[in-house]
Amino acid sequence: MKNYKLYIVLLFLTAGTILLFGSNLKEMKYLSQVEDKNQIKTQKYVQTKPAEAAGEMPKDHSKMEIDCKTCHYCEYPTINEPCLISCPRKDMVSVHHAADEGPEIVELDMIKGDYGVVVFSHKLHAEMSEMSGGCESCHHYNTTGPVLKCITCHEPNRIREDLSKPDLEAAYHRQCLSCHRQWSRETKCQACHINENSPDRAKAIQRIKNSKHPAVHEPEKIVYETIYDKGKLVTFYHDQHVNTYNLNCVSCHHDENCMRCHDVNLKKLRSDAMESQRKKVHKSFEDHHQACIKCHEKDDCGKCHRDRELQRFDHFTSTGFDLKPRHTNLKCTSCHKEAGNYKGLSKNCTSCHSNFAEGKFDHRRIGLELDEVHADLSCGDCHKNNNFANQPKCNDCHDDKYFPHDLPGKKISLVVKDNKVTKTVKKK
Amino acid sequence: MKNINRRNFLKFSSALTFASAGLTSNAKAAPNNILSPDRMGVLVDTTHCVGCRNCEWACKTSHGHDAGDIEKYHNREVFKEFRRPKDHSFTVVNEFENPKNELIPINVKYQCMHCDKPACVSACIVGAFQKNEMGQVTWDGGKCIGCRYCMVACPFQIPTFEYEKAIEPNINKCDFCFERTSKGGIPACVEICPVEALMFGPRTELIRVARQRIKRNPERYKNHIYGEKEVGGTSWMYLSSVDASQLKLPKHKDKTAPGVSESIQHGIFAYFVPPLALYAWLGGIMWISKRRKEIIQEVVEEEAK
Ligand code: SF4
Ligand code: SF4
Ligand code: SF4
Repeated sequence: MKNYKLYIVLLFLTAGTILLFGSNLKEMKYLSQVEDKNQIKTQKYVQTKPAEAAGEMPKDHSKMEIDCKTCHYCEYPTINEPCLISCPRKDMVSVHHAADEGPEIVELDMIKGDYGVVVFSHKLHAEMSEMSGGCESCHHYNTTGPVLKCITCHEPNRIREDLSKPDLEAAYHRQCLSCHRQWSRETKCQACHINENSPDRAKAIQRIKNSKHPAVHEPEKIVYETIYDKGKLVTFYHDQHVNTYNLNCVSCHHDENCMRCHDVNLKKLRSDAMESQRKKVHKSFEDHHQACIKCHEKDDCGKCHRDRELQRFDHFTSTGFDLKPRHTNLKCTSCHKEAGNYKGLSKNCTSCHSNFAEGKFDHRRIGLELDEVHADLSCGDCHKNNNFANQPKCNDCHDDKYFPHDLPGKKISLVVKDNKVTKTVKKK
Repeated sequence: MKNINRRNFLKFSSALTFASAGLTSNAKAAPNNILSPDRMGVLVDTTHCVGCRNCEWACKTSHGHDAGDIEKYHNREVFKEFRRPKDHSFTVVNEFENPKNELIPINVKYQCMHCDKPACVSACIVGAFQKNEMGQVTWDGGKCIGCRYCMVACPFQIPTFEYEKAIEPNINKCDFCFERTSKGGIPACVEICPVEALMFGPRTELIRVARQRIKRNPERYKNHIYGEKEVGGTSWMYLSSVDASQLKLPKHKDKTAPGVSESIQHGIFAYFVPPLALYAWLGGIMWISKRRKEIIQEVVEEEAK
């Protein structure tokens, strides 16, 4: 009798398997249904698309002198596959204003979110753009004529038909964050959004209005490791070049990422880079010579390419004129006035300081306060031929006195303000 | 006569199980419903994601999980460790170094991929998982028996289990915000993403947009839409500037994953030795013991004679 129970169980199991198999058949059928539906859809697509594309093209459009590539991204656009770029105006931008022609501050309030409007310093950013991409780095795809609002192309809805462009919120955020992420690695909302009800709102807006570009971390020395066996190293003292030739950043740097010089939060990264100091040259020949060649066109390769690292230029060892102590902070061009010529300047003070004349010169300026006797003498009595580059001579009056062993007064430290000695302190 | 009948029946049922076993392993396990060609998906563009983790917050909030303050999510310390979705975090964002630009790390959001041919669905022996018409893969707590086959089956290690809950623990995973998306709404994470690194739309349209982006910006993107073909296609897809495997998106063939899950199931069954062998074996034992009893009976009867 028991055996019959087993049969019943087995019967159920078998029936179950048959059913399972059956349901699989059903699924297969539905899969083919999906494929059919897909086909129907593509067919529809093919039918409707050309009508749209061939549709209302402005009459003068075909007569305009535009490269096909401006609007079509594929090689051979067809009526079925027009492959239109969604906002095909990149190459037609003609909006070029100077930074201060634009607005100073723009309030971005198109999207009502929880975080308050963004107070955007247009001027500051426009100034930056002068260093790199220009207006169109943000106003991309702008037409000729007035500057378009972002919302003209970017829809404010996230659910929308045309997904090829980001929606308005994303467009704003991508635009800002693509730089600010590198800049400060900061994604905090409050960095840009200022809540309307915030008590610090006025202060924050003032801060934005007053904001300046962050300080530039200027490298001192860079040693380039080139690919050549002979003259492998090029030693470049950045600070010296800038000071000596009185250069602006833009004299050499174009189209650079702001981050490369304006370093805010990434000192560590940079100091690592600085420690290593040596940079492998990986750009093309033209690219890495571009910045130098403007001035060094006539120079031999060996002027820069050496087998060893070069020492920093030192004014005293190279020219015999010590810049210490009072000439150290000067720009080279303050004395070497003739552009590009750094030779043939006299060491005599009066060759530059025309105001160092008899009776006008306050002797305390060089750190030596003359005593009463010497203060009454004329310059030439000690400085022969009024040549101040040479040591003063005492032996016209004194047989046993020698400068600098003996002094015609006392040494002082001094504070020079507005070209006048305002305070003297006796030197110990 | 009785015995012959029994033997024939066993033979017949074994043959049937044989046949059906062979058929099930060949047939692709497919969702229960008809999958719409207009089904929705999300395109995750990892080159735009800034790692703000707003999506994590929004996901928790929209699913009634304890989310806390959104500002806390902007802390980037969490990126030091690689995280996976878990019971009350249906989605997590991780960070990777960017070989192309050290200043912009690559952030990647993970959640259920909502496979077109989901392994979890075919692995689930009670049908608690369901692939919905518009693409969402959902889970029904009422049916789940807690066997966790789905966790083993999922090619993306997505379903998780509420281990800390002793009573009625749930399987947890992203449900593609079924509450919202089934009514024409947009997933919470997509809605909050400040840069639309998550783009929600019809899957076919997303693939078209993704192709367009790759084509226009070949330097920015690897020429690969992760999820377009992997395991037979997924609703969530990824674009990235580096190889997907570098972002811990598992390498998969285009073949549907259910094959994988079924082999697991079959493996398990192979140990249990059911349908075919089990029946035969059980039947055999019973028949033998019955026969032995009969013989003993006969002997006893004979001896008694
Ligand atoms: S990713 Fe895993 S859990 Fe999600 S649908 Fe696919 S198999 Fe199922
Ligand atoms: S779709 Fe919904 S459930 Fe899935 S990760 Fe996004 S918010 Fe979470
Ligand atoms: S919300 Fe968007 S940008 Fe932020 S982490 Fe999530 S996917 Fe990335």
